[in-house]
Amino acid sequence: MSAVIEVSNLTKRFGRFTAVDDATFTVAENSITGLLGRNGAGKTTLMQLITAQQFATSGTIDVFGSTPVENAQVLQNICFIRESQRYPDEFRPKHVFRSAPWFFPNWDADFAARLVDDFRLPLNRRIKKMSRGQVSAVGVIVGLASRAPLTFFDEPYLGLDAVARQIFYDRLLEDYAEHPRTIVLSTHLIDEVANLLEHVIVIDGGRIVVNSDAESLRGSAVTVSGPAAAVDAFAAGREALGTERIGGLATATLASASAKDRADAAASGLELGPVSLQQLIIRLTTSEGATS
Amino acid sequence: MTTISTPHASNRAIAVTRLHVVNTWSVFALPAIIMGVILVANIAIWALIFANTPAADQGDVREGLQYSGAASYIFVYMAIVAIQSTAVTFPYALGFGVTRRAYAAGSALAYLGLAVVYTIALTVLGFIEELTHGWGFGGRMFTAIYFGGDSWYVRSFVYFAFLLFFFFAGAMFGAVYVRWRATGIVGAFAVIILALIGLAAILGLLVGWEPVFGALDDLSDIGTVSLLFIPTAIAAAVSFLVLRRATIRN
Repeated sequence: MSAVIEVSNLTKRFGRFTAVDDATFTVAENSITGLLGRNGAGKTTLMQLITAQQFATSGTIDVFGSTPVENAQVLQNICFIRESQRYPDEFRPKHVFRSAPWFFPNWDADFAARLVDDFRLPLNRRIKKMSRGQVSAVGVIVGLASRAPLTFFDEPYLGLDAVARQIFYDRLLEDYAEHPRTIVLSTHLIDEVANLLEHVIVIDGGRIVVNSDAESLRGSAVTVSGPAAAVDAFAAGREALGTERIGGLATATLASASAKDRADAAASGLELGPVSLQQLIIRLTTSEGATS
Repeated sequence: MTTISTPHASNRAIAVTRLHVVNTWSVFALPAIIMGVILVANIAIWALIFANTPAADQGDVREGLQYSGAASYIFVYMAIVAIQSTAVTFPYALGFGVTRRAYAAGSALAYLGLAVVYTIALTVLGFIEELTHGWGFGGRMFTAIYFGGDSWYVRSFVYFAFLLFFFFAGAMFGAVYVRWRATGIVGAFAVIILALIGLAAILGLLVGWEPVFGALDDLSDIGTVSLLFIPTAIAAAVSFLVLRRATIRN
């Protein structure tokens, strides 16, 4: 698989604040990548750098093999739907859907129309007057129907209800299966998208802390629970991401567990459990290692 | 690797041009309606004036009506169109994978096209005003003395020069806002005021006002109005340079 995005040693500073700190990673072609992290972790800045909306302080970014900065050959393959995407004043959804095909050669008008029905979006209402969720639906529809070879969704569904979010996930997967492309999805609703993601990049304080395929990430981490003393004894010397205690019981989260680890745990009478992607990421991005 | 589509770069600029006018309501319908309301209000006022003026004095009234600035609202409206469309369309278009270069080129084309369209509209209204002898009351709105009075081509040229100036001045402030927000606008005004004072100082102290006014006097109406293309060109160049390194704020 070739890489659509290649980022190396990328740093972006705003004054004294380092938004992205020496990031290196690649995003494979035709994959769905989750860009996860806390508020202010640098997710949006990272996507803005890749789409040339911001300029890097240092490091290199290659998209489709060359720099994206002022590069029409690269940028015309990109669609970037922002969190709280803004639209020109007085625009109605019909204006958005009329103009979007001018920018996206792969635009599918039928697909867009079907999505408008799915999201029950009023086409002729001024976007200024629409609810938060309806505005988000406009962005989601553009992002999907544009079929841009590289699509970024930055927390695209602010205000969308659970049904609408599920529609988004379903349509995204269906359409992705028929028209493979590279999708980068930044979100806080990690559990909801966990099954969608093929690759996971976690950014915390501007640094890339996880860059792994989702399958191995989901499979690797385990919780070990039982009497506190036994858990502590087991966790000592192993890579524990955090430990929670309730009364005399404790649950430790381990980044990975070998067959020997599993056997040892069983021998100590400890119980092994799965860790959801969300739990894992909370463990990885909570400062002080989450020893509570 | 996916075969990436490579439409001609100019298509992207044209797409930006079309994006500026896709919402026909705010670019064409609303200004036309406002202009219509102003015209009707003016006609009503002219009717009132003439109804209350003795026949002997009506010639003097017609003389006075040629000093009308009623139609000039359109220039301010277009400056605001340019400011707003830059402030919002720029981040919007960049999200759709447009380069800053294509955005600037497409926007300039949009402003040029809109200036031509509105010049034609104002020229036609000027003809109607002449044919109807001032909308039936000897009123002057589109043939006001500021627009060059009785010569239609001078009027058209004046409309065009002013429309273009206001579009690009608006685009420049829009670009400054996109890049530096409110601080930038304040700074831009400071720079412009200092530049004007500097220019006045150079002309007044070094050249002297008399030759300056003499030179202006020698110019025809069209020649004088043509001077407006200088600040227009500066504004266009500044807005391009400002957008070249503009980023999208969060």
